Formats: sequence, structure tokens, C-alpha cells
Amino acid sequence: MINRRTFTTGVSAAALGTVASPFVRRAGAADATIKVGVINSMSGSYAAYAQEGDPAFRYIIDKVNKEGGVKSMGGAKIELIFADDTSQPARCATEVRRLVTEEKVDMLTGTILSSQMLAISPVLDELQTPCLSVWAGGSRSNWLYTLGYDYDRGYAKTMADFAIWLRDKNGFSIKTWSPCYSNYEAGQQVNKHLLKRMGAAGFKTLEEAPLDTKAQDQTAAMIRLRSAKPDLALGLVTPRDGLLLHQARYNLNYHGSIFAGGTGGYSDLSLWRDLSPDIAKAVLTRNLFAMTGFSPSAKMPSMQAIVTELRDQAKLQRIGQAAIQSAQAARVLQRAIEAAGSRDKKALLDGFKKVDIKFGDPDLYVAKPHGVKFADDRLLEDGSAFFVQWMEDKTQQVLTPEQFANAKPRPRS
Amino acid sequence: MRPDFWPALRSPIPWALLALAATMPFLLPNYYLHILTITLVYAALASAWNIVGGIAGQISLAHSLFVGAGAMLASALLVKLGINMWLGMVIAAAASAAMGAAVSFIDYRFRLGHLSFALITMAFAEMAEIYVTNTEFLGGASGLFLPKDKGDLLAFQFGGISGVYWIMLGMAALCVVVNFAILSSPLGYNLRSIRDNENAAQAIGVGLLRNKTLAMTISAVLTSIVGTIYARYLAFVDPYLLVSPVLTIEIVLFATVGGLGTALGPAVGAILLAPLGEILRGHLGGFLPGLHYFVYGLVVVGVILLMPAGVWPSIRARFTRKNAQEAKAS
Repeated sequence: MINRRTFTTGVSAAALGTVASPFVRRAGAADATIKVGVINSMSGSYAAYAQEGDPAFRYIIDKVNKEGGVKSMGGAKIELIFADDTSQPARCATEVRRLVTEEKVDMLTGTILSSQMLAISPVLDELQTPCLSVWAGGSRSNWLYTLGYDYDRGYAKTMADFAIWLRDKNGFSIKTWSPCYSNYEAGQQVNKHLLKRMGAAGFKTLEEAPLDTKAQDQTAAMIRLRSAKPDLALGLVTPRDGLLLHQARYNLNYHGSIFAGGTGGYSDLSLWRDLSPDIAKAVLTRNLFAMTGFSPSAKMPSMQAIVTELRDQAKLQRIGQAAIQSAQAARVLQRAIEAAGSRDKKALLDGFKKVDIKFGDPDLYVAKPHGVKFADDRLLEDGSAFFVQWMEDKTQQVLTPEQFANAKPRPRS
Repeated sequence: MRPDFWPALRSPIPWALLALAATMPFLLPNYYLHILTITLVYAALASAWNIVGGIAGQISLAHSLFVGAGAMLASALLVKLGINMWLGMVIAAAASAAMGAAVSFIDYRFRLGHLSFALITMAFAEMAEIYVTNTEFLGGASGLFLPKDKGDLLAFQFGGISGVYWIMLGMAALCVVVNFAILSSPLGYNLRSIRDNENAAQAIGVGLLRNKTLAMTISAVLTSIVGTIYARYLAFVDPYLLVSPVLTIEIVLFATVGGLGTALGPAVGAILLAPLGEILRGHLGGFLPGLHYFVYGLVVVGVILLMPAGVWPSIRARFTRKNAQEAKAS
């Protein structure tokens, strides 16, 4: 029987064991492995990205190991050590410290969104360990490379170019626009660049409709849009804000503007489930265009092949943008390690510079007409993404870039 | 000042403990030193909050406002205007003092009850977060990125983790001593009488506005200074961490578990819970998402059930009882 004394002793022993762990010697890792720390936001507000991407990432790394490991290192295996930063930037920085100094990882990767990237940058500089972020929209450390879309040449340029393309090549009458974006770090940054690009392209900016990321309802933002009645509402919208925005649009039966933007708030398949098919059909298939890094219907054999493989071989239930982006991260990591040919951190960092997955390569999973290659600012040279339109059967048609396109934009109605 | 204050301060035990704590940068690996530094941040914050929440019994949920002022304002003054962070720290502390005094005045003017005071201060904290995340000068939602710490003390740089650890150790010790000094002074008696029965305290001549304002101002200034040092340590000044009402909830939790209204209790609570949370996440987070939260919650519930008055008062009571029994036996 457990009495108070036994319980107290047990809790104390557990706590002591945990606290004493820094003084316990760890068994040394075998030389035939390269240790990669993976910091994912498996809980907290960004968990959706990591929970979808993590199985795809593990699957690809597992496959690399089964197929002989890292060839340039005599078949060394990639060992993954996982951590959860609970979607909090400061905790992401703490995990970097733990993985590098305690687990002795050779390099790092993980979902690492922009705010986490900012938090870990000083720690990466201090500990001089290379890191690949799957999603960060920039890099503030020489030791960090990212597959994320740059706020300007990734998100803002793709969105502004699409607006210009609708107006100039497809005869859409778009003279005015309203920024409609999730009012958080990335949303604000992308909007700043969008304002410049849209202004330079001759679009008149009307009233802004920022979406309160803590709100339970976006009717207020939709009423603002309805009163301003811009030809186009454009911006970066998170899945949750997108869901509430589309609900409000349905409730107000507002179809006076074209809605365009990215990424999850417009393009995530979960919108159909969360909105319910009837509401989704009414709002997603009418006057709405979505930016995304992945679309299963794109004319890109390697992307379709990885979708089939993840579905049939890995038996993954959710294969969306996060899964494809994470699978791509695993391939980039593999190429960087192959190029480095050693566990030396400087060599691994240089390995990222040598990554060049060209268009047509079976390991290219994301929509990059110019392939995956890092620019001097440690972001991808090609920041482009798809614009798609939803069909009533929940499939997507790709509109841009034109080499992947399989449809023309649906006329305004 | 109560007669036992100065002898307690001259006792070799706290100085020996402080000296031992100061050697940690030479003994601990980087990760654990980081956790200890964060623990000291929370120990200082919980002790500073205790002046208002524990001794005066005013459950303030606005302390993220003061942490945020210290962190965001001092950083913005440096990044946007080039103002030295030492001066920025003083300006932010003055601003925090003014805000703290204003909160106290509202409390006094409208005779808010405990629940109303808690809710109003929480509203202030929420407003502060919204204001900061939408104000370009303060970094907006993106926060601010401080220049690299090169160890230039005149520029408020402490040369990395060891330097910050020593500064935070001193700051945490100062916050505990301030608590002890207040508890040993007439101000402490006044605040406790206000906590126990505000009307009765006023009836015997305790000035509500003066004492509450003094307590809130001291607490706000200390909190703001800790906020500035914490921001310098993190280098990335994140509004969603430093101006978040969640931060205040954590501070209140540590103070409550450690022992509200005692000089050492809040620091003890932080020393127990802050590293536990970090280490549990580090060791369990990658294993099963959310498991560390579950275990942490179990430990907190267990401690509260076993020691409802708080860890420090329970330990003290046990020692006092033991000493009394020994004295009786002899």
C-alpha cells in the first residue's frame, strides 16, 4: 500500500533522478552514425505542421538508412533524436542547447517557424551547429538554412504576381485590393512587402482587414471587407483564421470580392472537413484562389510519385503541404550530409551550399521550377509556389506556375 | 525593521549558499546552466510578484505588463533609437513604476475586491499584449532582435550565459532580500493587515493607497529590471513570451506552490518547478507529445495536496516542530 511517505519518497526519487541526469555518463554513440536533432512543435499552436510532417520525415530518413545510409561516409546511418518545443520560441532555443551539448548531435532540423528561427539564431551562432528549418521565412544565423518561403520573394511576390496575372493575362477587373491577413508575425511581415508590391503594380489599396488570431469569429473582419468592397482581398492566412473567415463569408453571403492568399487558410484540405462540405463548396469554389507549396494534381511526376509512396508504402493518413515539405527536408538533409562526407560541423554547413536538386530529379517534391538550391541568404533561390482553385469534388486545379498548370482560372461570379 | 532582520542577513548560511550557487558556471554543462539561469529569472519574478500578491494579498495578473515593459521598451530604445540599454532599463523601470502606481490608484479609487482586481489586472495584461504586437516601434508581432552579446558591460552585455547567470543570481537574491526586508518592516505589517482585512486596516489608520502603491511600485520596478536582463539573455525579444499573460500565470503558480507571503517561498517554488518543467520536456517531449505536461501537472497537484500551505512553510513548520520536540525531550 502506498502511504504518504512512500509517495513522497517516490516523487523525490523521480525528481532527483531527473535532476541528476547531467552527471550520469552517457554511452558514446557509434562512429557509424550521424546524429541529427529534430525539434518539432509536436504540441502547442503550431502542432498541425509537425504532426503532419513528422511521419513523412521519419519515413524518408528510414528509407535512406535502409538503402545503405550515407554513401560518402561508408554507409553511416542517420540517427534521429526528437524534441518538442511546444511551439514556443524560447523553448526551441533551450532544446537546441540540450541537443547540441547533451545529446551531442551533429546537426539540427525541425519545423522551426520564423519566430523559433529568431530565438535559436543566437544559440546556433554560439554553439556553431548547422540547422535546417522546414518552415522559417528567413535566416538570422550563418548556421541556419531554411526551406521556408521568404516573406518577400516567396509569399509576397507569388501573391502579387498572381494578382497581376489575373488582371493582365486573364482579363479580371482588379483595380482595388484590401490586405486581409492573420495578424501575427509572418502575416504582418508578408503584408508589409505586399503593400509595396501591389502599390508598384498599380493596385489601389483600400481598408485593411487584419484577422485577430485569438478571435473566435471573423465576422467583424468580413464586415470591414464588405463595406470596403475591394476587387481583391489578399494576404497570408493561417488555417484557423481561414476557417473562421470562410465561415463568416458564408454567413454574410458575401461574394463581392475575390479572395486569394495562402497558405493553409486557403489551401488546406482540412477546410472541407472543418467547414462542412456544403459551406466549403459555397465559399471555396467561388471567387477564391489559394497559394500552396503542394498540390496533388500538379503536372509534376516526382510530386505525384511521393504522394503515392507516402500513401501506399508509408501508409500515411494525412498527406498535405506539411508532409511534402518535411519529406523534401529529409532529402535536403541527406544531400547535405552526402556532400559533407563527414561529421565535421563546418563541412556539414558547407554541405547545404552544395545541395542542388534540379527540376526533374525524383527527389524534388516541392513545386520549384528552378529546383531546390540555396541562395546566399540561406533561403531557396526559387521561392515560387502554386496558385490553385478548388473544385466541388475537393480536388484542386493548378493555375500557376504555368509549367505545372492544368486549368484556367474560373471567372468571377 | 524587525530585530531579526540584520542578524539573519549577517548569518553565514545564506552567504555560503550564494557562494556555492556562484560556482555553478564552473560545474554545470551549458544546458543545465541555461536551465538554472531561467530558474533564477523565475525565482526573481516570483519573489517580486510576492510583494503584491503574497504579502499584500492583491492577486495581480498584470505583471507580464512590467516584464514586457522591461524587455520590449528597453530593447526598442536600443534597437530603434540607439539608447544604451542601462539607460533603457532605468526608463523602462520608471515606466513600470508609473503603470504600477496607476493600477494601484484604480484599485484604491474603485475599492476593487480581490476578484475584480485580478480580472482588471488580467485585462491590462491582455491589452498590453495586443498593444505591443501591433506597435511597430516595440517590434510588433515579430519582436526585436538584439545585437550580439560581446561582453561589453557598458553596453549591457554580460559575455554570454555565465555572465547572465551571475547577474540573475544577484537579482534573485536581491528580490528575496527585499521581500525579507518588507516583511520585517512597518510596510510589511501594513501590507499584511491590508491582506487580512482591508476595512479593519483602514480603521486603525493604515493608509491603503500609500501602502498598496508602494508595494506595487517596488514589485513593478524589480519585475521590469528582471525583464530587461532576461531580454538581453534571450537576444530575441519575443512579445508572445515576454508580454504574455501566461507568463504571469507561471509566476503565480511558482509563488503559490513555494509559499505565498513568505520571503523564500516563491523562490523555492521556482527552484523546484522551473527546472522540473524544462527537464521533463527535454527528456519526454520527443518521446510522446504532451506527456511532460501530464507528468508536470501530476507533480504540481501532488505537491499542492501534500503541502497546501506551500513547500517552504511546510518545511519550516516541520523543522520548527522537530526543534520544539527535541527541546521538550531534553
